[in-house]
Amino acid sequence: MAATTTTPTPAAGPSPAPTPTANRLPGRRRQLAFVYGWLAPILALFAVFSLVPIIIAIWLSLHRYNQLAPVSPFIGLRNFTYAFTDDPAFLNSLAVTGKYAVVAVPLNIVLSLAVALALNHITRLRALFRTVFFLPAIASAVAASLVWVPIYDPQAGWLNAVLNLLGLSGRSWLGDPGTALWSVMLTSVWQDLGFNVIVFLAGLQAIPLDFYDVAKVDGAGVVSRFRHVTLPLLQRTFVFVFCLTTIGYLQEFTRVQVMTAGGPLRSSETVVLHIYQRAFGDFQLGYATAMSLILMLIILVIALVQMRILRSRWEY
Amino acid sequence: MASPLTSRVPAAAPTPASTTSGDGRSRRRSGGVGQIVLYVVLSIAAIGFVAPFVLMVSNSLKTAQEIIQVPPSLLPEHPTFANFAFVLQNSPYLVWYRNSLLVAVAVTALTLFTSSIAGYIFAKFSFPGKNVVFVVLLSTMMIPAPVLLIPSYLVMNFLHLLNTLWALVVGSIVSAFGIFLMRQFISAIPDDLVDAARLDGAGEFAIYWRVILPLTGPALAALGIFTFLGSWNDYLWPLIVINDQDKMVVPLALTYFNSQHSQRSDLVMAAATMAVVPVCVVFLFFQRRIVNAFVLTGIK
Repeated sequence: MAATTTTPTPAAGPSPAPTPTANRLPGRRRQLAFVYGWLAPILALFAVFSLVPIIIAIWLSLHRYNQLAPVSPFIGLRNFTYAFTDDPAFLNSLAVTGKYAVVAVPLNIVLSLAVALALNHITRLRALFRTVFFLPAIASAVAASLVWVPIYDPQAGWLNAVLNLLGLSGRSWLGDPGTALWSVMLTSVWQDLGFNVIVFLAGLQAIPLDFYDVAKVDGAGVVSRFRHVTLPLLQRTFVFVFCLTTIGYLQEFTRVQVMTAGGPLRSSETVVLHIYQRAFGDFQLGYATAMSLILMLIILVIALVQMRILRSRWEY
Repeated sequence: MASPLTSRVPAAAPTPASTTSGDGRSRRRSGGVGQIVLYVVLSIAAIGFVAPFVLMVSNSLKTAQEIIQVPPSLLPEHPTFANFAFVLQNSPYLVWYRNSLLVAVAVTALTLFTSSIAGYIFAKFSFPGKNVVFVVLLSTMMIPAPVLLIPSYLVMNFLHLLNTLWALVVGSIVSAFGIFLMRQFISAIPDDLVDAARLDGAGEFAIYWRVILPLTGPALAALGIFTFLGSWNDYLWPLIVINDQDKMVVPLALTYFNSQHSQRSDLVMAAATMAVVPVCVVFLFFQRRIVNAFVLTGIK
């Protein structure tokens, strides 16, 4: 790339062996040549595809930029105020995303912690069970979504068939505004559970057994051992899993797009899906970028608050 | 790129054993009943977890008539591979697969190279501006992907890379996370090793390639698995930059195929089966390494 201009010699390939007793100065020069020769192209790529886009994002958010329009006037913060005052669909998508995260994150955490605890207690077949729970995480979100769509089918779907068998009445899970979001969420939790199970399991196995023995001697029951030994010592893992899962679900896109396309009646339209539709359906790239920056701020604030609360609550 | 990965396999094996094998940590052998209950509950949950995949394969083997039958059948009454044949004959499925493989392999190999060499430089060299550059690098990790989506699209448009496989590769070959991970790992390698190689007259790149890289096996494996899966499964970015049918990668092609044959879930399930099953088989082979990759990168 444009790296060669800044550096004297790009030290490429295994360089010829120099004099055996190289004194410090030429050695230092060779080291710097290596550092700049390799770092420059890498940082150049990083700048073009990471730093420049950040600058463009800020610029876009302050302009009325539409790819199809000839001019893009500066409009200050009006994209941001517009989002909150004149775009009910954006507020709706915020509410949908909030609902999604508030339900799916605890559901995922509680279930994966329960599975990890169970796996940690069994003595045989642990690897087999772990594999089963982890397999969905390997599949692409698109494939996972497509697999679940026929399961939710109102006529020939398995979910309704099972419900009918139990004497319950089924419904059009993805076609009903009351259930579409929850149905997508079920697929998400099914798919993402395995990742957290593995991280929790590793955290659990890092806890020294002595702690449990001491607690037992002190007469602590199962519940109190979990509360006073496992939870505090699992804290770092817990904070990590909680933050990562929240950040992930606040950006949910693929599964809702594939399974419901945000419908019916925008009942499952998440923020990122709304941003995508504004940007690549209506070509309002400036406004869509402003919304993505709002989402970023929300994510940052929530992540910081979570880290604060979770750190302090269990600090011993 | 493959040699340091494969050469490290035996050396890295002892570490996984400690986290995966159950013996030695069977702490409560008391509750025989408790164990049975756990196995029963886990088995029911496991069946629920596998069921969607079983239904996917089962549906892919059904005839068009059977697929819309009410109530649905669990196993196909007349199993047929006609759906797979149809998908392969009426869509460029193998091209999609090749595209995915090409992109994921290129992204993975290049990311491993840039991350390890930059990680080595940040771990073992001092140069002016090092800390500033590193902090800038790290801070970009906090920016969620959707923010960079639209600007990156404009950059690709400017570079005339839209609708090419390059658009799926070039933006992904420098990873701040990868550089951070490799720097952490390489920092733990003693400086003496590098100095000794220098005294022996090794060139700087040779030290990186022959001394440092072979020692980073577990970290490279972890980063490689993550990068490969991330690239292989990515959907949103290809959705934005790729339009041509024969430039599509598998996840994007699946939704495209689904939209073309929305009423034929037997065909869609055959396409999905071909997308999922190979990846799962590869996973079963490398299971231990993948699990450890998640552990290594998950708990820093």
